[in-house]
Amino acid sequence: MPEFDRREFLKIVGASAGAAATVGCSDPVSKLIPYVVQPEEITPGIPVYYASTCLECPAACGLHVKTREGRPIKLEGNPDHPVNRGSLCARGQSAIGRTYHPDRFAKPMRRGADGKLAAIEWDEAIALLGAELAKAGGRSWVLGGTMGPTASEFLDRWVEAVGAGGRVVYEPFAPEALVGATKTLFGVETEPIFDLSGSDLILDFGSDFLETGLSPVEHARQLATARDAAEAGRRATRFVYIGPRLSMTASNADEWLAAKPGTEGLLALGLANVALRNGGGTEAGRAVLAPALARFDAASVAQQSGVPADAIERIGKALAKAKSPVALPPGAALASRRATATCGAVLLLDWALGAIGGAVQLPADDGRRRSSYRAALALIDSMKAGKVSVLLVHGANPVYSLPAAAGFAEALEQVPFVVSFASGPDETTARAQLILPDHTPLESWGDASPRPGVRSLVQPTVRPLRDTRAFVDTLLDVGRAMGGSVAARMPEGSFRTLVEQAWTASGADFKQLLSVGGVFGDARSAGISLAGDALQLEVAEPLLEGPGQFMLLAVPSPLLYDGRGADLPWLQEIGDPVTKITWASWAELSTAAAEQLGVEYGDVIEVETVAGKLELPAYPRGGIRDDVIAIAVGQGHRVGRWATRDGERRGVNVIEALPSLTDESGGRAWLVAKASARKTGGHYRFALAQHSQDQRGRRLGLATPLAALAANGHGAPAASAAAAEGGGHGDGAAHGEHGHLKDFEPAKDSDPNSLYRWGMAIDMDRCTGCSACVAACSIENNIPVVGEEEVRRGRLMSWLRIERWVGNGSLEGGAGLDPILPDEPIGPVDVRHTAMLCQQCGAAPCEPVCPVIATYHNEDGLNGMIYNRCIGTRYCANNCPYKVRRYNWYDNHIHNWPEPMPLMLNPEVTVRGQGVMEKCTFCVQRIASARQTAKDQQRPIADGEVTTACAQACPTQAITFGNLKDESSTVVRKSDDPVRGFRSLHELNTRPAVTYLAKITRGPVEG
Amino acid sequence: MTPPPPPPAESVAAMIRPTPLLADSQTNRDVMAVFMGRPGLGWLLLLGLCAAGLVTGALTWILQIYLGLGIAGYSHPIFWGVYIVTFVFWVGIAHAGTLISAILLLFRAKWRNAINRSAEAMTIFAVFTAQLFLGIHVGRIWKAYFILPYPNQRALWVNFKSPLLWDTFAISTYTLISLIFLYVGLVPDLAIARDRTTGWRKVLYGTLALGWRGTSRQWKAHTRTVLHLSGLATPLVLSVHSVVSWDFAVAIVPGWHATIFAPYFVAGAIFSGFAMVLTVMIPVRRIFGLEHIITDYHFENMTRFLLLTSVIVGYAYGIEYFIAWYSGVEAEQTSFWLRAFGPYWISAWIMIIFNGVVPHIFWFKRARTHVPTIFVVATLINIGMWFERYVIIITGLSREYNPAVWGHYTPSTAELLIVIGSFSFFSTAFLLFLKLFPVIPISEVKELEIHARSHGHGAAADESEGQRLRRMQEAH
Repeated sequence: MPEFDRREFLKIVGASAGAAATVGCSDPVSKLIPYVVQPEEITPGIPVYYASTCLECPAACGLHVKTREGRPIKLEGNPDHPVNRGSLCARGQSAIGRTYHPDRFAKPMRRGADGKLAAIEWDEAIALLGAELAKAGGRSWVLGGTMGPTASEFLDRWVEAVGAGGRVVYEPFAPEALVGATKTLFGVETEPIFDLSGSDLILDFGSDFLETGLSPVEHARQLATARDAAEAGRRATRFVYIGPRLSMTASNADEWLAAKPGTEGLLALGLANVALRNGGGTEAGRAVLAPALARFDAASVAQQSGVPADAIERIGKALAKAKSPVALPPGAALASRRATATCGAVLLLDWALGAIGGAVQLPADDGRRRSSYRAALALIDSMKAGKVSVLLVHGANPVYSLPAAAGFAEALEQVPFVVSFASGPDETTARAQLILPDHTPLESWGDASPRPGVRSLVQPTVRPLRDTRAFVDTLLDVGRAMGGSVAARMPEGSFRTLVEQAWTASGADFKQLLSVGGVFGDARSAGISLAGDALQLEVAEPLLEGPGQFMLLAVPSPLLYDGRGADLPWLQEIGDPVTKITWASWAELSTAAAEQLGVEYGDVIEVETVAGKLELPAYPRGGIRDDVIAIAVGQGHRVGRWATRDGERRGVNVIEALPSLTDESGGRAWLVAKASARKTGGHYRFALAQHSQDQRGRRLGLATPLAALAANGHGAPAASAAAAEGGGHGDGAAHGEHGHLKDFEPAKDSDPNSLYRWGMAIDMDRCTGCSACVAACSIENNIPVVGEEEVRRGRLMSWLRIERWVGNGSLEGGAGLDPILPDEPIGPVDVRHTAMLCQQCGAAPCEPVCPVIATYHNEDGLNGMIYNRCIGTRYCANNCPYKVRRYNWYDNHIHNWPEPMPLMLNPEVTVRGQGVMEKCTFCVQRIASARQTAKDQQRPIADGEVTTACAQACPTQAITFGNLKDESSTVVRKSDDPVRGFRSLHELNTRPAVTYLAKITRGPVEG
Repeated sequence: MTPPPPPPAESVAAMIRPTPLLADSQTNRDVMAVFMGRPGLGWLLLLGLCAAGLVTGALTWILQIYLGLGIAGYSHPIFWGVYIVTFVFWVGIAHAGTLISAILLLFRAKWRNAINRSAEAMTIFAVFTAQLFLGIHVGRIWKAYFILPYPNQRALWVNFKSPLLWDTFAISTYTLISLIFLYVGLVPDLAIARDRTTGWRKVLYGTLALGWRGTSRQWKAHTRTVLHLSGLATPLVLSVHSVVSWDFAVAIVPGWHATIFAPYFVAGAIFSGFAMVLTVMIPVRRIFGLEHIITDYHFENMTRFLLLTSVIVGYAYGIEYFIAWYSGVEAEQTSFWLRAFGPYWISAWIMIIFNGVVPHIFWFKRARTHVPTIFVVATLINIGMWFERYVIIITGLSREYNPAVWGHYTPSTAELLIVIGSFSFFSTAFLLFLKLFPVIPISEVKELEIHARSHGHGAAADESEGQRLRRMQEAH
């Protein structure tokens, strides 16, 4: 044996230990690096919130941006903000993705001689633009969307300083006709402010105010408030939707009248006529209008609008009787070439009924720049004529959103130097010579003024992820670089200085303003009177171009809006609130029309108008007029990671089939073309977020007629109407003849020593189906999007979904491969939206079947999920009757979070890997954090102290979260509703912690 | 302790006398020829084909582990697909072996002797194949050991309420017992093989034969062991598939949640097991010329079993529909209605016709004794029984309580490759077994002969081997 000394021994020991240690490292080690210099406001692990403003649409909701360690991870509503009061819609929730979008421009880009974009330095880019502007002088123009007051004022001054030709503001869905109508009728150029919260009869002439109207979150809340009053029994509220299709908004109405599109004005005057004749409205209204309206008798209006005369009479009489009726003028989808007259007619109805000054406020003009389609068209003309040498485009994607017929793309060819300020690629940047990427709203200063009286601040919440520069700062730099008189006219400082100066001009404390989020005042009508020429409005049927059997309805998409949301994957994957189609375009047409064309669900049709042809799959449904084809705006992009399909266009852009026409006041007309359709022979398989909308009479989404509610106000068992519907529904019925429903106490399904049993009450009458909760849940809980093909296989990962049920259903629904759509008849509406999430069952079927105890009942009654323990047998998901468990078929973490998107992940929530089941746990991370706080203060968690992401986002507060063991909590009060309260699939005896409150069907308006 | 009574002198003499056991040697030679002979071209081709299928399946599995189960055709809410279908199918196949070896042994049905070895081998390979699917099915196979209840530092324990855990126990117990059963039965034959081989085979058989000498003590121990093992294995035949059926019956899925499932599945398992034995043994008998050992008489008896179990299975199908209607539960009724008339109607009718209708041909003696008919019907039953599991699992899951999340499932290419791989795995193993071990239990067949002879039924000179055996068996 050789010498084996101590040194040799130690060497071998060391080597073996080293080898063992090396082998042991299978995963790469990542280290948490502490701050070297701790920032003042940040405590690692504690979120910091910044008040800001959502700039996704002109409604400008207030935000609380939740940041962790310097990164925004979620957008939440600012509870103090008058527009949204703490809620936030799906588009607002998803807007966080703009900051972390993987395709953002990292630097200024310049198109080289080879036609390709190449990165350049800011100094170079600014010098270049300065030189071009100096050269072009008055031949340079600025085209952009709406912007905050500070930036807008600066831009006006800047345009003047650099001697540019001018500036055009263009916002595709801007209510230009409405403003025009206000001016014609009342002589004030302003956007009316509608407040539905006190109304007992709401007439929506197709504004789709819950989706894309003037302020969707605010109006949704107001609708719920109005209905609250009715529920409390003080008075009955009715909501009538007048429009060609049963949109999401219409699905929430009590009655739907399928008026021919474009005849809303006639109908408004016809209704005004009936109302005034029946003694309704104001004195002045009767005196001034009654004679003029005589010719709008119910019979002739009925003939033109397609709404039965008796319905007009009935609703007219109801308007006469109503204490506080309000009518909302049509939105973009129904804006015909006579949109100003139509809006005017509706406002006239409001005036006649005395709503102006009450539910409709016309504040004095705040002098802000408004969108003008006419100005945009004029700019295109001068571009075509070669009169524009430099075009600066910001906050807009005109190549996509302007109709092809307007010729913007061709006009752009005539402009030698196009500059875009977009932060990521779009159709317009694809044609720009220079790109000076703007910050995203989360990185930038700014402000917004959604309406007079309300001003809202935007503040940066993260250091810019890319080498970008705020639009205003870029302009300042360009101005300074131009030297001479231009530079002299540039204000001192940066955009931040400008914002601070503007906001502190009145002596306010800027820090205080930042913490609040803005100045929230009220604006009231000031001395409104009807202008003399108000009655000169030419209210008539719409003028439509071209031949064809159908009217083409271009509907603003509830999720993608005007297409700006198409590259935010959450919005693509939530699924349209009505059709539940994800990631695609579809043409809605009536079942009868489809039959006539010989097309079935998913068959590709060709829709042809004078302006162009579109090929897209058909979606036949009951809830649309026979003479209308409706296509949502928003798809059909040519650029964008998620907006396109493997580099090809995803769906169609309906704007390409619309002629470029304006209404009387120069606004953009959308309802302009007739269309013909024919079958092409192709077929398309939709990727649906919901299979069947027919619940087959099962206990999933129940409804109770208002009458039953009033009759059973004392909590008498019985008879919720749902029971009358056939299946023995309504848990009230459980105590009666349908004894098979076992009674239980949800509060007892947690550990007796625990203070809590978390539960929820979901009010189906308040749920509008907007899907804000779905987006909020996805972002709070790091839920990946999986793409169209995976959705088609049902592999959607969403923990929460909105199920749309048409009535109580029949036994034919959903049997085949393609879901047969239930009929959605004109008249009383019965569409029910059920937010389906894990029910945290007291006797959860998923728990006993898991062999490894990966899912279990925790002491607070939650159905917990231990991801690390899951081996992926998927037995739990099979055994879940609600099907709310989702499985990671792939490593979604790797596939669906391209850099830098992992930065937006919520660090409180585990990112699930391949092969693991996942599900809703009532945002257990929030509960845990509330528990910590409560524990520190040695008290139990108070009611309302913790809420889930879905409940927080909901514009109508349909979801109430709380402790079922706390007798005084709101959730217990709501869950105890003896008539409306029911448990989903109660007969399975799963003892859910979620109580649904049945939808109230209010029935048609009584005359 | 009283010593066992000495055997009668006559039979002792018969046992120790080396001659005139001409028939014995003949049997030895016949059976040995099957596995000692040079592999034929057909065997090699078949093995190559199966091995190719096996390798393809294995590579697909590796790919699936790497990429995720997404490459399978799973679709929410159908979380179990053809992997579980095929798992249940193989567990069912595995039943024939034990039934033939254990239960029929206890019932002294001597006709089983010629086929029990192959049935036992099939059991083993079928159980192994089934177990593969447990691994293929789970999402995180690298954590699959979490399902084993052993004290560990992770302080993890298992859920004894879960039918999947019962499965783990049932299947592993069954594997263990079946393996022991097969091995114990093989020992005397391995000794014969040891005595007649040289080289590596001699080492292999010598080792495995455990020093078997054929002494009366050894025989006595052997017979008793087999008998006791039969007693142990018999309840397993009933329990294993009952437990597997509880995977479904315990769940609340409409179409799964039925009390009839345990007997229904056990009958189905025996049904498919016998069908598989026939599907495999008919070609084997023909290729290796074993008609004189595995006779038409054996086949006829097995078809009687097929007929019996087919009637039970058919009854279960009927009862399922009756109960669905009788329960008044709409979800249950819808599930069964759509089973027969919904998107999966083809599978459902394959199941009903192949399992419930076709086997009724065995009421006729002509069909029972016509080997090609038996082969075709047995194959149809195999197909039908696979589809039975497909129908139960897939249609049940695709149309559950909430129509918002109804779905549709079609197996993907990857899944089919893995399923084909599993059949290849089974076939490869069986082909190798044919060439490595005596597929006919030599000692048991000889035992019959000895018994026959010692009871005075001497072989007539002009009688063929097959006829002789048949007569002897009938005598029992």
